[in-house]
Amino acid sequence: MVLSVKNMTVSYGSKKAVDNISFTLKKGNVIGLLGANGAGKSSTIAAVLGVQKSKFEELSILGKSPIRNRKEVFEQVGVQFQETNFQDKITVKEACEQWQSLYKKTGDLSQLIQTFGLEGKENQLVKSLSGGERQRLAVLLALLPNPKLVFLDELTTGLDTKARRILWQHLQNMKKNGLSIVLTSHYMDEVDALCDEIIILRDGVTVFKGTVSAALESSKKTSLEEAYLYYSGEEDKW
Amino acid sequence: MSTFTTFLKIEGKLVWKGMDIFIFGICFPILLSLLFGYLLNNDASMGFSTFDLSYAAVVTIGILATGVMGLPLTIADYRHRGILKRFQVTPVSPLTILFAQGVIQLIAAIISFIGVTLVYQLVFDYTLSGSWPLFLLIFAYVTLAMYSIGIFIGSLVKDQKSANLWSSVAYFTMLLFSGATIPYEVMPRFVQWGMDILPLSHGIHLLKQTSVGEPMSDGFIHFGVLTLCILIGLGGATKFFKWK
Repeated sequence: MVLSVKNMTVSYGSKKAVDNISFTLKKGNVIGLLGANGAGKSSTIAAVLGVQKSKFEELSILGKSPIRNRKEVFEQVGVQFQETNFQDKITVKEACEQWQSLYKKTGDLSQLIQTFGLEGKENQLVKSLSGGERQRLAVLLALLPNPKLVFLDELTTGLDTKARRILWQHLQNMKKNGLSIVLTSHYMDEVDALCDEIIILRDGVTVFKGTVSAALESSKKTSLEEAYLYYSGEEDKW
Repeated sequence: MSTFTTFLKIEGKLVWKGMDIFIFGICFPILLSLLFGYLLNNDASMGFSTFDLSYAAVVTIGILATGVMGLPLTIADYRHRGILKRFQVTPVSPLTILFAQGVIQLIAAIISFIGVTLVYQLVFDYTLSGSWPLFLLIFAYVTLAMYSIGIFIGSLVKDQKSANLWSSVAYFTMLLFSGATIPYEVMPRFVQWGMDILPLSHGIHLLKQTSVGEPMSDGFIHFGVLTLCILIGLGGATKFFKWK
């Protein structure tokens, strides 16, 4: 198992943001966390990474605790947070070089820059990039250490259709080479294209866990979008 | 390149692109030393003049501005904007980040020290009566103590606002009430008692004694206070460092 989480609960004061979530992830598999805004997707990711305090029976990434073995674990794990902030006056090249220096081994930077369509932008300030370019840079940095597992929180939010397709293609290739992915997304076409398994969260509670086809079957809906709306309780309410 | 040298290079560039370090860390102390040269009494017929004594105090302003102000503000800014949170999910140790930021600020403090010394010596014919190696050694120790305070503040404050508050409190009280700008000797006795609490007062006291070549007869207490700052500051920072 690349990732294993058992009965994890995240509370903010008396409010439970994530209630007893459990899941595992195999090598080369992709799991998608779905749910409305505030359903607990990002809190789950933060808790799994050990960035957010949580209660759990088991939490292991690549067989180790991300809290106690932080250094070893994150040598092989990439993370793209929902919001990626950079130092005020840093350039694209500097941001990449700095990230590269954090790891013992990394992938080919110039290759990644090309894949993510950032060539020619190396000397630009990160803050002068467009939203989509900045998002692509954030995903690039997550993939830079050649990770075995990567967390992508809303990976294509802000990207145009073409960029999304290219990114999916790239992730699918990496998946074939054994990369495991945990992602959150609001786009069901993306989930359909990438995920082997999905978890639908509603107010922190896991309301569905299984494959995309199982979601269709058990909800008796014809599209993933409808099945998602059915489970997430977003069907009629605004 | 190692993580540390890369951080030094890139973060150094970023810090210097902001002008604060240049204005407060370097220009301000040098301007003040010019001002002191013209304003303070340089009559050394009665032992040492107030100007002579001011040297040991003015050289600490660069340490204050970089260590107690620049250092914690940069770290708090990175925490506030979620940059430290991104580093938390990488193999980098918080000590590497703190240490690199410390060295960057220290370089400015050293430039400031050299600038102030040149103004004192070349413009106003100042000579250090005590031993230079001893003076530099004490200066290094005072620097370590002040940076420990700065690292402590930077590691613990929860946001930019409280970083501003606490580093300003530490900076301005020590700038005004430890003898760095207004000489300790001219303060009324009851203010001096208050000043005795501030760590930098003890540092400046030691620096003054060594600069004029007096023996450090009461050195024990002054070293004790500085050592306490280092132990609490660095110990607290490693134990309670907050990524977000």
